[in-house]
Amino acid sequence: MKRVLPIIAFLPVLFAGCKEMYDPGIINPETGYLVVEGFINSGSEPTSISLSRTTKLTENIFSKPELNASVTVEGDDNKSFSLVSTSPGIYSSAQPLTLNTAVQYRLKINTANGNEYVSAYSSIKHSPVIDSITWKRENGGVQIYVNNHDDNPNEKSYYRWTFQEIWEIRSTYLSNLKYETNTSGNPVRVIYKYPDQSPDYSMYYCWQNSRSANILLGSTERLSQNVIYLPITHIQQGSIKLGVLYSIEIKQHALSKNAYDFYLQMKKNTEQLGSIFDPQPSDLRGNITCTSNPGEIVIGHVEVNKEENKRIFIYNSQVPGWGYSRFCDIVSIANNERSIIENLQYMPIAPEEFNLDGSIKSFSASAGTCVDCQTRGSNIKPSFWPN
Amino acid sequence: MKKGWPISIAKLILSLCLMMQGMFASSQVERPKLSAQFDSLPIENALLTIENQTNYRFYYDKTAFDTTKVSLNANNISISDALESILVNTGLNYSIDVSEKNVFITKGLLVQTTLPSNFYKSDTVQNQSSAVESAMLFKPGSDDKEVILLGRGDESGVNRVTISGTVRDEKTGEPIISASVYIQNPNIGVITDQFGTFTIMLPKGRHTLNVQSIGMEDIERQILVKGESSLNIVMQSRILTLRNVIISTQKTNNIRNTQLGVQKLDIKTIKQVPVVFGEADLLRVVATMPGVKTVGEAATGLNIRGGSVDQNLMLFNDANVYNPAHFFGMFSAFNPEVVKEVEVFKSSVPAKYGGRLSSVVNITGREGNKKNFAGSAGIGLLTSRLTLEGPIIKDKSSFIVAGRSTYANWLLNLLPDQYKNSKADFYDANLLLNHEFNKNNTVYLTGYLSNDRFNLNSDTFFHYKNFNYNLKWKHTFNNRLYSLINIGQDKYEYKITSERNPVNAYALSFNVRQSYFNAHFNYFINSKHTLEFGLNTLLYKLLPGDYVPVGSESLAAPLHMPFEQALESALYISDRFNITKDLTLDAGIRYSMFNYLGPYEVNNYPQGVPKRVENMTGTTIYAKNKIIHTYHGPEIRIGIRQMLSNTMSLKAGYNSLRQYIHMLSNTAAMAPTDIWKLSDPNISPQFGDQFSLGLYKNLKSNTIELSVEGYYKRIKDYLDFKSGAILVLNSHIETEVAKTQGTAYGIEFLAKKLTGKLNGWVGYTYSRILLKADQAETGEFLNNGKIYPANYDKPHDLTLVSNYRFSHRFSTSFNATYSTGRPITLPIGKFRYAEGERTLYGPRNGHRIPDYFRMDFSMNIEGNHKVHQRTHNSWTIGIYNLTGRKNPYSVYYVSENGVINGYKLSIFGSAIPFVNFNIRF
Repeated sequence: MKRVLPIIAFLPVLFAGCKEMYDPGIINPETGYLVVEGFINSGSEPTSISLSRTTKLTENIFSKPELNASVTVEGDDNKSFSLVSTSPGIYSSAQPLTLNTAVQYRLKINTANGNEYVSAYSSIKHSPVIDSITWKRENGGVQIYVNNHDDNPNEKSYYRWTFQEIWEIRSTYLSNLKYETNTSGNPVRVIYKYPDQSPDYSMYYCWQNSRSANILLGSTERLSQNVIYLPITHIQQGSIKLGVLYSIEIKQHALSKNAYDFYLQMKKNTEQLGSIFDPQPSDLRGNITCTSNPGEIVIGHVEVNKEENKRIFIYNSQVPGWGYSRFCDIVSIANNERSIIENLQYMPIAPEEFNLDGSIKSFSASAGTCVDCQTRGSNIKPSFWPN
Repeated sequence: MKKGWPISIAKLILSLCLMMQGMFASSQVERPKLSAQFDSLPIENALLTIENQTNYRFYYDKTAFDTTKVSLNANNISISDALESILVNTGLNYSIDVSEKNVFITKGLLVQTTLPSNFYKSDTVQNQSSAVESAMLFKPGSDDKEVILLGRGDESGVNRVTISGTVRDEKTGEPIISASVYIQNPNIGVITDQFGTFTIMLPKGRHTLNVQSIGMEDIERQILVKGESSLNIVMQSRILTLRNVIISTQKTNNIRNTQLGVQKLDIKTIKQVPVVFGEADLLRVVATMPGVKTVGEAATGLNIRGGSVDQNLMLFNDANVYNPAHFFGMFSAFNPEVVKEVEVFKSSVPAKYGGRLSSVVNITGREGNKKNFAGSAGIGLLTSRLTLEGPIIKDKSSFIVAGRSTYANWLLNLLPDQYKNSKADFYDANLLLNHEFNKNNTVYLTGYLSNDRFNLNSDTFFHYKNFNYNLKWKHTFNNRLYSLINIGQDKYEYKITSERNPVNAYALSFNVRQSYFNAHFNYFINSKHTLEFGLNTLLYKLLPGDYVPVGSESLAAPLHMPFEQALESALYISDRFNITKDLTLDAGIRYSMFNYLGPYEVNNYPQGVPKRVENMTGTTIYAKNKIIHTYHGPEIRIGIRQMLSNTMSLKAGYNSLRQYIHMLSNTAAMAPTDIWKLSDPNISPQFGDQFSLGLYKNLKSNTIELSVEGYYKRIKDYLDFKSGAILVLNSHIETEVAKTQGTAYGIEFLAKKLTGKLNGWVGYTYSRILLKADQAETGEFLNNGKIYPANYDKPHDLTLVSNYRFSHRFSTSFNATYSTGRPITLPIGKFRYAEGERTLYGPRNGHRIPDYFRMDFSMNIEGNHKVHQRTHNSWTIGIYNLTGRKNPYSVYYVSENGVINGYKLSIFGSAIPFVNFNIRF
């Protein structure tokens, strides 16, 4: 075995990373297919539909909105509602639509290039509410679950969820100083921000948010009861999100089986690839067809739907040992132009020494991200924030 | 010529030779001097140089020494000094005969140029009395091109003359009994009597005289018969192991038999080929043959001549192994220690086989040692293994038990991220028994078990298992008729469990079980006809899915999908008909029938309407064992061979096959979650037929085989998945798959050399497999009804497998393989949807991943070959993927945090060294 051991020992070194970024280069076929996203809202909000076009993989475009289309919601009772463009590619109804449960509705789009697209008819669907959002500690972090139930036991339910997280950020240091600038805008000295020397809370309290980027689906197809208990998102231990106070709002859409399959295929095509036994990607079929040019690819699944919302808060005190911390050292800077210019990466916190005349001789300072939370979020407090 | 000598004997002979050489040297007469300078010259050229300077003629086996190179720097030295100088280190010997004209160069054995002084005594007497031409002597080593004159021309006008003589063993001088002495044209032959003598009447003229005897080197000489003569023949014993004899009988099989597209590999060849982690891997080696492909390194499923992986009948001693893969499909689940050989039928499938469309991979197990207990143990990076074998009743019955197990979890850390946080456990076990009741009755028992359990980067555990056993009885009625009766059961099952979320915790199981009975008869009617006939019957019982909750909190609703049952039966007969000496026809017909049996609830769809859920018009319930639906039809198996010369033949074939069980998959590689589905009223069987044509040529006394084969194949009703297909726990699977029509064609070139120091093969294939799904019944045209390539369509494929044996103890192997990248479906655009950037996929399999190229190298080191030692050991050390090329397995695009990123995944992205140790006892 003597000869073998060294060989085995250097094996791990020889295995290199096997997954690498890849650009096939020439793949750039004609594209620009219509993408329709949204739902015919049977709830108490207006209906809003977004129209865009697919872009080439290599194009560095966030989204290519479809302009100057005419969009209507049609009922099979021949009643229709027009949507108007409120921002590029967004078409909305001014008021919530008053829909009839006995009527089926569809979306009709006439694009500027003269093509007509319609979605399949669908009717108002029963939409269970979210019973609760629960969470528990898992692997040190926090795992958030959505729970609901549908009393109709014979009906299999299909859901899609989206969520928005908001968390409060606090600066490490509360500052009552600011730089005074000369006419050319360069700082020359620090002065109190407010005459009463009170601290600036607008740099101290901030809020950051993020939205779900993955498609979250669930169904009770394989369950004996129409009950949902599914993980929605996981917050890693020590994350800033739970540094002070965290809130998540989950929005739930009850889907038809077809819509569920559409989102599932989209998820498989774009999120669940690359492992050895994952299904191969394939084309995506929604419920929208082009009537003037049958066979044209259209992306989207539009049906009558309602949004159910629920929000919870989690305080840092509820997660003992969370361990969020930020390294913020303090330096002392003389209150003169030269030393301020030399230490421009710092922001002033509070006076340290005073001159005989009471003016500030030197002051403590720390990195910008430690003093001004606006570098990491917005200081506009959400209306629902309890603190 | 002299492969496989037991080393001890070779050594003995060598030392004898050296002694004798010394003897000859001392009895030198004055020999001519010569001068020459050459360096690393092929021996043929070197000897020619010497021939030109002297009167000597050299006799040697050109093919055996074709790779030998020699050097000489001689200035006016004697021929013996020159020869000693050039032959040093080559292992070759020389001897100069008494006439000082002929020099024999041999390996190991020294040609005796003198005979015992009394050797010709009796002949001399005979010569004097009969007053015929003195006896001529045939002996090995003389030039077979030289024409030997027999007798003085006589004026009697008689056409036929008598030649008589003896055949003796060169070494012992004993007469050789039952040696055959014959000429072929016209066909005249005799056998020597108990004293080794013979008398043969030959027409005057020129003939090729053959002398053959078991255990002796064949002699073939040109003779010119002019008158009565006596002839003394000396034969040289052939010291070979049994295995070499088998090879020599197979030498011309490739050109002589009527089958096309058949490849046979023995385990010795398989073990030489370097593979990843150094585990001798049968299916990986099969995949190096032309026309056999896999989708990549994470897949052992074979795609043979455009067939999908489920279209291969994978037989191990007649047991059908459904999923012969271990370790995420990275290597095959056949233990090389119990395998004797593997035979792949890519085109001509014998009538006795059926049920799969593309090929039969027939793996034959070894028989245990009937004389002594023996065993072997091995340790490698991936597995450790133990094999025991021995007699149960000496010379009558024997057994082999073998097992392999893994400790490979540590390797997972070295694989791509896709395998991180994974675990893998597997083992396989084999039991092979045989017992000979008497000369006419032998029974064989085969048991096979393979078991895998793993999780792949998630909390979901996969568990799958193959379990097979069968009993075979071979009965010989008489010299011309024997039968094989075979009964057994094959089982494949998998189970998926997920327990992390207590509310959704579940276990899902699937299994397929088949019980079979086969009766096969082989009847040799006469030299023109050999008949094979028999019947197969196979009862399937398939559990499509059983879904149960795990744990008390789980709300998973139990779902027990009903069993499916079917009976597949076939009758077959085939005749091998030697029409003329050169033309042979092998014609067979197999009539297969498939009965789908109740109890079952069948979904109904109106005629002519796409099979979609919304078109379903209810179900029909059938009672137990009621025949719900029957499919049947003939399968034609025809092969015809025309010999163009002794070493060249032309073959043509037509084969059709039917397949009644289908694997449904939407993954690239064969996954442990793939389910099998029986044909039912809504899913028709697959049908395939193939035309093929081949030209075969052997060179250098059948040591080099060349072949080129072309084929055109049609596949009907292959099942491809629809976009977003749900294949598991689906009671209406017919709505998720599309009947697909395929066309495959290709041309395969192969050059193979299986003997000599340098052996191996090089193959090139150009092939395509194109699919089309445009049947209205499907309700959805895959790829808009346009033709698309299958995901294993790799048009160009060039593979070299080679082994060079430096000595009996040391050999090296080298592989190189290149193939076109396989097709994948790539995005044709991106868009924003559901808060993220998404991709739009274009034509199915419309693009290709980069080409594949890999080289491997290994060294096989055997311990010493002393006969009397307890154990023999061997090492294999090598490097897989020498160049460290990151061969892509797949290219994919994912939306990560809302942004599209493209990735290329390689399973083995670097050079991978391996080491393997084996010990025999």
